[in-house]
Amino acid sequence: MKKNEFWGLLINPYTRLAGWQAFALGIVFILLTGIVGTFANVYFDGAIDIHFAEKATFKNSFNFLGIDILSVFLALSIAGIFISKNFRLIDILGTITLAKAPFLLFAIASLLTKSPGAEQIIKNPLLIFSSASFVIVMLLSIPIIIWYIILLYNAFKTSTGAKGNQVVIAFIISLLMAEIISKSLIIYLI
Amino acid sequence: MLPTYCPSCKSELKVKCLKCESCQTEVSGSYDLPVLSLISESEQQFILRFIKNSGSLKEMATELKLSYPTVRNMLNDIIQKIESYEKK
Repeated sequence: MKKNEFWGLLINPYTRLAGWQAFALGIVFILLTGIVGTFANVYFDGAIDIHFAEKATFKNSFNFLGIDILSVFLALSIAGIFISKNFRLIDILGTITLAKAPFLLFAIASLLTKSPGAEQIIKNPLLIFSSASFVIVMLLSIPIIIWYIILLYNAFKTSTGAKGNQVVIAFIISLLMAEIISKSLIIYLI
Repeated sequence: MLPTYCPSCKSELKVKCLKCESCQTEVSGSYDLPVLSLISESEQQFILRFIKNSGSLKEMATELKLSYPTVRNMLNDIIQKIESYEKK
């Protein structure tokens, strides 16, 4: 594999992988993220959210991840209906599930660091600077979220086949909608 | 690859003359090129592959080692191109 092709696949693996295959691989990443995230006391609670918890549970970890996937799927599918003539829902579901893969890196990095705890940070926000590894992990969240959004955009673009400014506008609106849906579901269901 | 555009002004070329290799008869006129000859060679290969796969995008995707939506998007691009040629 050429170097350029490798980097290309990191931000857009959907030229090669979509549908059920992407969904199956994505589920593996989701399971690992949920398990590692629970041990690291990290929740991925929202379309693009990462939060530390005092004591994470498997139930909450997977509920949050499930809600996250569901909300992004709903928002992007509805947007897809408006901008694309023909697309398969399984491509949207598969590609967005796989897009979640970078969060596993954050979960692993969090596992290797000692966080001060969410409640303690709320009481004293300066505590986040007490641990260098924690600061590095916090900074790592920025490129990971950017990577996730790029993956999500490419998932949407490849799955719907839409082009031009309408893809960008529809994607931004649907990502905001997904965030609102996920937060609403978390409030009502958990 | 059949030339389809004028190398000088980039306008679409027309067929002026066709010749029978058997009896040397020449038919002259001004005939439009078939729409399929106007698309690129790689796109023509894609169409041929599509026909050979009985129109199955899934089989095409497996053969080309690409995902289904990528292959479908490639086909959509060709359809769009052909439609624009037909409108001219």
